[in-house]
Amino acid sequence: MTEAITRIFFPILNPIFSPINDFLVHLDAAAPVAKRLVTLGLFLGTMLWVYVGLRKQYVNLDAPSNRFWADLRLWTVISMLPHIFVYLYF
Amino acid sequence: MPGLEGALGLAGIDIAIIIIYMVGVFVLGTFFGKYVRNAGDFFIAGKALPFWAIGMSIVVSDIGAMDFVGVAGSAYTHGIAVANFDWIGSMPAMVFAAFVFVPYFWRSGVFTIPEFLGRRYNAAVQVIHGTIWAVFLFTMLSLMLWVTADKLMYVVLGWNRQFTIWLMALITGVYTFSGGLSAVVMVDVVQMIIMFVGGLSLLMLSLWQIGGWGALREQLTAAGHADHLNILLPHNTDLPYPWTGIVFGLGIVLAIAYMSGNQVIVQRTLGARSEWHAKGGMLFGGFLKSFIPLMVAIPGLSALVLIPGLKDGDTAVPEMIRLLLPPGLRGLMFVALFAALISSVDSTLNSTTTIWTTDILGRFKQLVTGVAFGERHVLILGRVFTVLFIILAALVAPVVGQTESVYVFIQTALSLFQGPTLAILLLGVCWRRATRWGGLAGLVLGVGFTFILNFTEGLFPSEDPFLFVAWWSFVFSLIVTVVVSLCTPPEPDEKIRGLVWGQVVSDGVVQRILTERVSS
Repeated sequence: MTEAITRIFFPILNPIFSPINDFLVHLDAAAPVAKRLVTLGLFLGTMLWVYVGLRKQYVNLDAPSNRFWADLRLWTVISMLPHIFVYLYF
Repeated sequence: MPGLEGALGLAGIDIAIIIIYMVGVFVLGTFFGKYVRNAGDFFIAGKALPFWAIGMSIVVSDIGAMDFVGVAGSAYTHGIAVANFDWIGSMPAMVFAAFVFVPYFWRSGVFTIPEFLGRRYNAAVQVIHGTIWAVFLFTMLSLMLWVTADKLMYVVLGWNRQFTIWLMALITGVYTFSGGLSAVVMVDVVQMIIMFVGGLSLLMLSLWQIGGWGALREQLTAAGHADHLNILLPHNTDLPYPWTGIVFGLGIVLAIAYMSGNQVIVQRTLGARSEWHAKGGMLFGGFLKSFIPLMVAIPGLSALVLIPGLKDGDTAVPEMIRLLLPPGLRGLMFVALFAALISSVDSTLNSTTTIWTTDILGRFKQLVTGVAFGERHVLILGRVFTVLFIILAALVAPVVGQTESVYVFIQTALSLFQGPTLAILLLGVCWRRATRWGGLAGLVLGVGFTFILNFTEGLFPSEDPFLFVAWWSFVFSLIVTVVVSLCTPPEPDEKIRGLVWGQVVSDGVVQRILTERVSS
């Protein structure tokens, strides 16, 4: 089955994916730091989205307290910091 | 049951710990049966769960014994890159789920994700999506039973595989039948504590044996395994975890689809006592998940130093337990692995039952007779399916379990439909112009395209390109859903009222309607 599917679809799909693969291989070689930046960007972007993009009232709706510890924006940052450390370290 | 204390030298204290644990879980689980009076109590715990129970339950439901075995095995074979599944493959997606999907599902008062898709698109989408998930969850259930019986209990204890499968089926089946989601979540809380104590013990003993983290790094490098410490592998790596696949396929598609569309995960948040607890449970679960790779991947790497040359990486953890842990702690670690499995089995069983009852049989009855099941019938059906599925899963477990690498197999299976599912879910929630035909076309053609990508060789550098398949199938389904939706008439306002995120979040009238819908 794999052979038959490859025979039919490889000539159609390869012209689409081949240039993308080539670009990414060149990116890896030209800017090795790119992969780390993109990865960290996903974490930092998510934190920024929660802190800046969402309204505080929406994030903390039904919160049991108005104290700082019940602010889920703070929870988000604290939960994500260990991950940022990991991707900086490895 | 050959050699319970045989080759491994299990001490009496280990056996005592194991027996106490099994009895304790059984008693605790069945205790919650007295709180189940209706379908809402059985399927979503009467909306009474606090954030800490939700978070802990999410972690142990997601992390099974197969993660301990399979992730440690992949770390042994491929390196720390496998930890991406619990780091970038969890936290960003869990934050996204917490603030987009969870409040949305929670306010709309649905039991399942397919149920939402049925309301937003049509019955066909609900049944297709429900069937895919039901089959997948059932397969997972069988696989979990087999992995624990074969790779854990047989290797560590020498137990007969069939005996193990039926013992686990009995324990989980009885309390899931009796107490529903409340029993499952509360047993999960206890199991998570046990799992963390056992997992952290294995981590610390592994590092202690080697001489610490610095020594592990040095010895891996000296042995020619420096690549095992690279978490972001190049795009053209032969291994299944290139960074591009990890960020786009895993971080953006598979993780969000899993955390937002997986009934096992979402069902816990649907049982929250308030929206804040639902969101907080998801975030707390993400924080706890940060520690999982430390407990599974690092011992896998340590095994590469302490037990080099293993033919099957999946035997790394059982071998480490035998090598490192003293009597007493060995029993505790065994219980931790068993807890990881039990918690995944009970959660998967409960969610499979929910989908079958609500989205397949319930929907079928409604289509044929025009009348939905009554509250009492739903509860009875839920319990009947619980018994039926655990028996069937135990019967087919040996057949389903024959696969080379457990973890990769599951991820490959998930990637077949996760991309299309996320595409229609995302558009259904965020874009009011998405139509029923757009959703159906996106799902069906998307799964077809995934199938083609998965079986066309040579398109991607990786030998097992499931991450790329997930990403491109998501993009394809997104395009198909948008194009078909724009070519078909928009859905009437009445139908989608309260089903689009912007309305759910900011429209006061819609929020009142949803509140009434939930409380009725």
